[in-house]
Amino acid sequence: MRTPWNTKARRPSSFRSRLIEPKIQRTSGILSLCSLCALMVHIVAVIPKMTPNMIAVFPFQFAGCAYQPPAGDQTCFGNPRLPSSSYSTRTAASNSSSCRRAVQYRPQWQCRQQLHSTSRLASADAVTASMELELLDGQAPLRSAPERKPFPAASESRARSSAKLAALHARLALPAKLPLSTLARCLIDASVDPRPGSNNASLTILGQELLGYYTAEWLICHYPRLPMPVLFAAQHAYVGNTTLANLRREWGVEAAVAPGLEVDAGLLQFTANQSWKEQMERQLSRAKGELTDTDSQPLGTGRSNEEWRYRRGISSRIVYDNEFGDLVEGRSIDNEPSPEGPSSSSMVQPVHRTLGNPTTVEAASANFIRALVGALYLHAGLQQTQKFHASHILSRHLQLHTLFNFTHPTRDLSRLCAREGFEPPVARLLSETGRHSRSPVFVVGVFSGEDKLGEGAGSSLNEARVRAAAAALRAWYLYSPPEDDVKVPSCMLGTGSGAIGQEETERKVKWRSQLVDVGEIIT
Amino acid sequence: MPLQALRTVSKGQNGVGAFILQCKRLDFHYCDWAGSSRGMNAFLKSELAAFARQNPQVEITVSPRPGRHPVVRGHYINGREKAICVRNMAIQEILQKALLLRNASGEKLKRVTKPVKSLNESVRGIWSPMHERNGFKI
Repeated sequence: MRTPWNTKARRPSSFRSRLIEPKIQRTSGILSLCSLCALMVHIVAVIPKMTPNMIAVFPFQFAGCAYQPPAGDQTCFGNPRLPSSSYSTRTAASNSSSCRRAVQYRPQWQCRQQLHSTSRLASADAVTASMELELLDGQAPLRSAPERKPFPAASESRARSSAKLAALHARLALPAKLPLSTLARCLIDASVDPRPGSNNASLTILGQELLGYYTAEWLICHYPRLPMPVLFAAQHAYVGNTTLANLRREWGVEAAVAPGLEVDAGLLQFTANQSWKEQMERQLSRAKGELTDTDSQPLGTGRSNEEWRYRRGISSRIVYDNEFGDLVEGRSIDNEPSPEGPSSSSMVQPVHRTLGNPTTVEAASANFIRALVGALYLHAGLQQTQKFHASHILSRHLQLHTLFNFTHPTRDLSRLCAREGFEPPVARLLSETGRHSRSPVFVVGVFSGEDKLGEGAGSSLNEARVRAAAAALRAWYLYSPPEDDVKVPSCMLGTGSGAIGQEETERKVKWRSQLVDVGEIIT
Repeated sequence: MPLQALRTVSKGQNGVGAFILQCKRLDFHYCDWAGSSRGMNAFLKSELAAFARQNPQVEITVSPRPGRHPVVRGHYINGREKAICVRNMAIQEILQKALLLRNASGEKLKRVTKPVKSLNESVRGIWSPMHERNGFKI
């Protein structure tokens, strides 16, 4: 049996004549959600300065005076908001001269937990001395909360000493502009290190927008009649969490059993210490409203009138939800519509509310890959990112015609023919065998006038007719223009005066407007 | 709702687009004392640096294994590993074995009877007796 959506040559003539006249209008607004100019503003807002954090303070840095870190300094003397811990950190080596006070080199997680409630070195000796006394007595000091060890920043030296990381860099054929320390930072999930300067959360946001945008424009330009639910499902199949988790496994990136300082920098580090039962209990108590701390608040989805649980139609999914049509967590709820439209407020994602929470392997893997794409964009530029996306994401195998699930294909087909001005579809029996046996086969074609729109086989006349109508609808929706005519909008980026890189200016691409259909049949 | 969509996952096809070398890691085990490691020790001293430079996508570890024969062991992305004992081998033979492990896919060795595999559906379709021009006669 032929699959009619694969054959361009046999398409009926009236179909073909409809395709020639261009229709540059589309009802769905996914491109406005993912527009690149909004993305550039977003990058500037989200990405912090990427200087490596200072790891320790050496004695020679205190030549003449005692170090007075500013209040709230997190680089060596710890966050004063952190409660004291049980670690027996050695006191800062107080030399004989009172003015030459030096801190010995120690890992940062020890430094950060050294001080109690102040960051002044003058009071540090007393605090640490009292902590040592507690430990000498053999009593375990009190822990106010279950603590997570603060995590070392992705430093250049730590990244350079990892053979796994260098091998991964070479295995993915990443450009040399992407440094190893950034690759190491991509591997540190926000559940391990809540500091936004050293985890991959900000890169993840950028990478998610980039992956969503490139995939959406490729799909829309190559399949201009794709219905929105199928477009969402195709996005999910290409850049969804499950796919990206598979991609991480196919790249040979292993996850660390438990995160920590001693773990190789080439391993994916995240915290997934909650069992399934704990997660369920947490969700249950969250639903009941028993959890009161800020981490456990139900996170907003950015939809107005969220508490009323309005029905989620396709149009509101395009505006409010993410690129898969799923609800987004972690957005602030604004019930008043802003004058410039809802998309401006929905671009802002306060991700820090979800930091530090345990995550799953799948989510952490997907975040790693998104962060890598974001880092690639920042370090290596637009063209490398597009190349990476084409070679790793778009090269994956997906049969789009398997994504369709029609409920009333015969009704949709007659609506389609009415909308497009074709003759109403008629089902005709093409051939049959074994009508009176226990396994009959009927082959039915759906005709519009003289043109055969689709063909299907079934064990009853009705089944064959429905299959034929579904085949005709798939053939309509999966129309793809010739490969030479397709130009995605992002291929024009960097060709104008505001060039991003040197090599982008050399590309001479002539823009041609793309055919985008009015959309699916609404019944 | 006239149309719903089914969620699936796209499948990776290694080599279409990007190619990921399947050998993740090569372990070289040697012994300082035993004579069967003579070639291996010479390989580690003379050839390994160049080999590692030519294959940056493979992580290479060297570790002693005293009182045992020298072994080259490859770890693969699919989770399997392959070990080759290189006792009494010369430098070039060990290099051949290391290249063999590097080029392997990690799968079990199978006889390939149908060399072409594809995820795509057949373009021509399956032959059907219903679509013969004059009807199919048995």
